[in-house]
Amino acid sequence: MISPDLKKQFLAIVDPTRWLDKKEQLFCYAYDAFVEESMPDAVIFPETTDEVSQILALASAHKLPVTGRGAGTSVCGAPVPVHHGLVICFSKMDRIIEINTRDRYIIVEPGVVNADVQAALAPYGFFFPPDPGSMNSATIGGNIAQNAGGPRCLKYGVTMDYILSLEVVLASGKVITFGSKNIKDVTGYKLAALFCGSEGTLGLVTRAILKVVPLPETVKTIMATFKDLDDTAKAVTDIIGSGILPAAMELMDQLTLNAIEDKAGLGLDREAAGTLLIEVDGVAEACDKQIKQISEKLVANHAFNIQEAGSAEDRERLWTARRSAYGVFAKLAPDIISEDVTVPVSRVPEMVRRIIQITDKYKLRVGVLAHAGDGNMHPMIPADKSNAEEWSRVLAAFDEIFQAAADLDGTLSGEHGIGLAKSKHLPLVMNQDTIDFMKTIKQAVDPDGILNPGKFV
Amino acid sequence: MTDQPIQNCGKCGLCLSVCPVYQVLKQEQASPRARLQLIKAFEKKDLSASPLLKDLVSQCLMCGACKVACPSGINHYAKFMEMRQKLAKSQPDPPAIRSLVYLLAKEYRLRMGAGLARIGRRLTPAALEKKYKIGTIPVSRFPALNRRPFRSTLPRVSPARGGPRGDSRSNLIGHPMGDPTGYSRDNPRGRVVYFTGCATNFLFADTGHATVNILTRLGYEVVIPPSQTCCGIPMMFHGARDQAVENMAVNLTAIQEAMRENSSDTTENAQDAAAENCDAMGKACDEAAKNCDAVIVDCTTCGAALKDEYPALMNTLDPGRHKALTQQIALAQKTTPDMPDTIAAKTRDILSFLHDHIDDLAAAMKPDTPKHKVIYHAPCHSKNSFNSLAKILDLIKALPCFDYIPVPDAAACCGGGGTFFYEYPDISQKMMAKKLISARAAGADFWLTDCPVCRINLHGSLSEKDNLTVVHPVTLISKGLGS
Repeated sequence: MISPDLKKQFLAIVDPTRWLDKKEQLFCYAYDAFVEESMPDAVIFPETTDEVSQILALASAHKLPVTGRGAGTSVCGAPVPVHHGLVICFSKMDRIIEINTRDRYIIVEPGVVNADVQAALAPYGFFFPPDPGSMNSATIGGNIAQNAGGPRCLKYGVTMDYILSLEVVLASGKVITFGSKNIKDVTGYKLAALFCGSEGTLGLVTRAILKVVPLPETVKTIMATFKDLDDTAKAVTDIIGSGILPAAMELMDQLTLNAIEDKAGLGLDREAAGTLLIEVDGVAEACDKQIKQISEKLVANHAFNIQEAGSAEDRERLWTARRSAYGVFAKLAPDIISEDVTVPVSRVPEMVRRIIQITDKYKLRVGVLAHAGDGNMHPMIPADKSNAEEWSRVLAAFDEIFQAAADLDGTLSGEHGIGLAKSKHLPLVMNQDTIDFMKTIKQAVDPDGILNPGKFV
Repeated sequence: MTDQPIQNCGKCGLCLSVCPVYQVLKQEQASPRARLQLIKAFEKKDLSASPLLKDLVSQCLMCGACKVACPSGINHYAKFMEMRQKLAKSQPDPPAIRSLVYLLAKEYRLRMGAGLARIGRRLTPAALEKKYKIGTIPVSRFPALNRRPFRSTLPRVSPARGGPRGDSRSNLIGHPMGDPTGYSRDNPRGRVVYFTGCATNFLFADTGHATVNILTRLGYEVVIPPSQTCCGIPMMFHGARDQAVENMAVNLTAIQEAMRENSSDTTENAQDAAAENCDAMGKACDEAAKNCDAVIVDCTTCGAALKDEYPALMNTLDPGRHKALTQQIALAQKTTPDMPDTIAAKTRDILSFLHDHIDDLAAAMKPDTPKHKVIYHAPCHSKNSFNSLAKILDLIKALPCFDYIPVPDAAACCGGGGTFFYEYPDISQKMMAKKLISARAAGADFWLTDCPVCRINLHGSLSEKDNLTVVHPVTLISKGLGS
């Protein structure tokens, strides 16, 4: 609870329109796209770094839990305030401060929406590669906190690979900045790697300098369909293994494809057991050559239909449909868990087989969806959380899926983060000393544990 | 489309990116996702009705963009409407909104209200008009009322026209609109029923006259149901479901009568006789309904009522509670089976209907048609209920009377939203502010829009210094055709 006196002090920092503490309002900050919910005691909307600093200093003095939030599109519960307290929502710190394509960077506040960054860069012929499914709503601050990925990260890498510099407010209220406008910078620790993906447990980002890259001259998208899901997965391994690097390579099974088709009506092949959506980009000649090489591999793996997206609109429609996959699955049942296990790409066929074995064993439906080219699997299980028996099967199935990923040298999360979803599974992929090392860092930076408590560290 | 229960909201947050209110406020409680969560909490009794809950649910333009974008297929629009009804009793609207609903509920009240308002307007000193605002709009920038209600200035049936048009005849030989062998009063291309809505009837007669002129010039016989009344959407938005049901019954009956009207005999007596005989001549009447090519609306909000809301309302009609109405509708259904679905299926917004006739319209424009520099503003129901945006832009680009200047935010909401601009002037103004910048920069003479509330709002937000006239696109199309 926040005492009236403490509230008064917060209201000395921000005006009352940027402070919410009525029950009706707090209901709206209890969730992200994950299934678990928990209400904060208040929500505050800073507009400047200085305000964030004052807010955190005050919260620290009162040991008040503080959870950062952007647009609340995380799928692992990262911004869900399980220990209540204060939610700091960055949606109003949404200015693009500088676009400098000569030096290839953009400076933004954390509340800027990923799609707005893309829109701002496009006229200059540049883009920011991370493209999470929620990019039209998700904020850069959230992308950084979760080290967000997306389909084209196969070729371009994830959010971490594009951070040049951050300004971060620590739990104490102190403001630190590290990195610079330079692509090459080995001045001290690479602190960006500490905060990017920390899910708001170490500090709150208030400004970022991001690396941007030129838009490719040509983009080509093809869609291949298979009668067998195993063949589909083998094609992925075969293509990546042979040294071809597409910009994106998405695998969808029949259930996923049909759910998408129901919503988007793109004329996808509902009979296909597996589908690959593959995109290459670069100079036109190279694209043509890559498409030819990829097509050969697809045919060798028994693809029965290979189609190229005719126009830019077709392509956009395919990607819009792909991005809506999480949402369309929500149609199938009251709740949905989308997981994020990742395995080395050569293990993709085996991982797909195991996911299907495990879900069969627990009599659950599963949609297998993957950024397959980088082994990032998104098995999605639609279920009803209020059905305790079914839900226990869902949880048991995911336990086994995590174990299977660990057995295949994989990891718990490729891009969603740990959040509330899988902190208990950390020992599967790291030993106790490693977990303790993370705790040591946390303890040093946030001794009172006020930053996003109840999460993985 | 099947409605999904709210539990199926995956909370993915995609709707945040299309919600005009969220885009301005940048606060989750102003998002479609949050409204669904609040409704869920209310249904589970975790939250009870309160002024704040009402406010959070009402702080919505009912534009329907979230419904279109939702990957889970949730019908936010219907959920919000239902929730508004549930809250209406314990959390009444402010008096001004309630009076509006009261006025719109009965045609005679509207007529009287309009008459009084005309007098009031004449008596109001100009200085006061400038000073006072309703919502975001200075009183002096509100449209003047029609001298007489539009519908009272036209016969029930406007016959099809055609034939040569004098001097430009040579251009039109072989063309239906100019060809003497083409469509005419006695040989119409078809028949359409025109649902004028309140705005055209009381405020924007220019839209009505233009619509009738274009349609008759295209060779259609235009039937205007005389007993039509407010479509009921304003009542539905403000939770007055029973009044909306009453208006629905009146309108469905009126439209259904007009659909089966015998085109060769348009006197009152013949109508009544036809109605009485209809049972006996059931089959002939079915044929008449088939002979109605379309129910035309010039306002897509009214259109959404006919197309989407009436069939939905019918499904929830309680024969015990709405006894007289149920009977009235049942009677009408005898002659037009599957009503209101028949009417819903025939409902077309005027612009996409004209899109079907682009070539005819372009060919029939006077050779010396002045080209007007225009920008376009897309109303929410044209985009989200009728999915007409692409067709409308096609039409505007194709017709020689327009010199179309694209503006980047043509499809962005103006913040009108029925009574939204009155209830939430600050939010509304922020939506409009962005649009005004690009509109002013475009250097157009006309700002086209096909929604009367958008028209009021756009005009009201411009000032006298802006040389930009807001009209329905039909006005300029009609001018291009000549009368």
